[in-house]
Amino acid sequence: MAFLTPSAVSFVLFALIPTVGVLVLSTFSWNLLGAGRFLGIENFIRLLEDGRLWGVYRSTAFMAGAVLVINLLLGLLLAVLLESRMPRWLRGMFRLSFLFPFVVSSSAVALIWRFLLNKDLGLVNYWLGQLFDIERINWLGSSGWAPIAVVIVSSWKTLGFTILVYVAGLQAIPREYREAAIVDGAGAWARFRHVTLPLMSPTILFLVVINTISAFQLFAEPRVLTQGGPGDSSRTVVQFIYDTAFQGFEMGYASAIAVTLMVLLVVLTGIQFLIARRWTHYA
Amino acid sequence: MRRVRALRWQDLASRGATLVILAVAAFAIAAPFLWIFRGAFSPSDGELTRLPPSLPEAPILDNFGKVFDQVPFGKFVLNSLIVAGAVTLAQLFTCSTAAYAFARLRFRGRDTAFAVVLASMMIPVQVTIVPLFLVMSRLGLTNTLWALILPPIFSAFGIFFLRQHLMSIPRELDEAATIDGAGHGTIYLRILLPLTAPALATLAILCFTYWWNDLLLPLVMINDTQTQTLPAGLVLLAGRFSTGSLTTIAAGITMAVVPVLVVFVALQRYIVQSIAASGMKL
Repeated sequence: MAFLTPSAVSFVLFALIPTVGVLVLSTFSWNLLGAGRFLGIENFIRLLEDGRLWGVYRSTAFMAGAVLVINLLLGLLLAVLLESRMPRWLRGMFRLSFLFPFVVSSSAVALIWRFLLNKDLGLVNYWLGQLFDIERINWLGSSGWAPIAVVIVSSWKTLGFTILVYVAGLQAIPREYREAAIVDGAGAWARFRHVTLPLMSPTILFLVVINTISAFQLFAEPRVLTQGGPGDSSRTVVQFIYDTAFQGFEMGYASAIAVTLMVLLVVLTGIQFLIARRWTHYA
Repeated sequence: MRRVRALRWQDLASRGATLVILAVAAFAIAAPFLWIFRGAFSPSDGELTRLPPSLPEAPILDNFGKVFDQVPFGKFVLNSLIVAGAVTLAQLFTCSTAAYAFARLRFRGRDTAFAVVLASMMIPVQVTIVPLFLVMSRLGLTNTLWALILPPIFSAFGIFFLRQHLMSIPRELDEAATIDGAGHGTIYLRILLPLTAPALATLAILCFTYWWNDLLLPLVMINDTQTQTLPAGLVLLAGRFSTGSLTTIAAGITMAVVPVLVVFVALQRYIVQSIAASGMKL
């Protein structure tokens, strides 16, 4: 049993107690000073009545969904292209550059993009103007564009991870399957649609799970880029928890928000595994 | 004959298009970094923001010094190294011992305990951040690096990942060792740890990268500039200037990114394998 002690102790202290803690705290009102007051389910009633929670969840879901779709589609395209015939060093260079943003801290990435997306001085608007002759876009200061800016930056940072996982999945497909399809006269698209894609379904499922969960944990990018604004247009649930707890000092109310996120993550993971059973093909 | 030539042209065209698309994507990744690196050497904000961008006429190094005038940048780096290093070492220890117990030992409630570990993967630190902060502040550990090192020590993903690797190692190895009189400690240390070295390296890389980059815990736990980590320190540096001195911020970002780039290029093979492996083990 000695083997289990280190992780058991850390599990109790940093996983179990905080999880129970967040459930208990969500029934209290407490501003860190003095004693808390027991509220029962009042925090949750307030959450339901508070328009902000829905707004924040809508923004988060939009950003999470957009990042997911972009990463899955663009990542698949780039991974397939990366697997086509080319010199080894060139493939290595591409792979390196795609993956690099993933190892750089989100705060550095977001600070770089805060420059690039600046309305008047930023490179992005400059090039868009040069290429397409369009008006300057207020990327970070308008509620329509701010969530899109967060999506761009967050996809830009995580796309390389998705590509790499795809490439690993592609490489795991036995060469014989594709050769057999060629012998049967299948064209490139038919091979992709009926051989590659079904065999990639476990990989795609893994990417859906990982991308969704990490998108719902998004914090650094919106916080540094837009502070969640304007309004709540680019505020994620995690930033809403952070703001409520550590700027508003409403520990109980913040915990109630955290409980909603916990339920959502559990449900999402559950649904994804149920779906997975039905449509993943294992080779 | 003509048909063969047409096919070859088609082939060349599709290979050309492939390379162009990949090159555009690689440029879109590299350009922002190159632009910020260039900005770090620009003598003025005017030059940094001049459009279209051009190389600085007379590159200067002053901006790097100005970063150190504004914030204890060296401390940030040191703190980040301590935090990410300590979390990684601690996780390797707690995860590998637990993985050994789940993969090799028989005890009552093992499967239930393992199910609990798996379930706890669904509850990330972002959900429990409020009670974690309260626990740390009750222990008097806020504003110390302990507040950043302790909470991530338990890792359900790490336990699960290492256990999967241990399960793939034939039991005959430990049985042979048992016959030779080896106890669990010896089997774990001398036989299984060396055999799982690649998996341990993978976990170390994923863990170090994640906690090196984390922004949430430092913002919540640390108020004191001297105890801040690099990601939060950069935000602090950027916050020192509302406008102006963009070049100093660019220099700070450059100093944060370039060492990562060097390590990344040096370890790329292992990093690429680690990420690929993390996707294959679900």
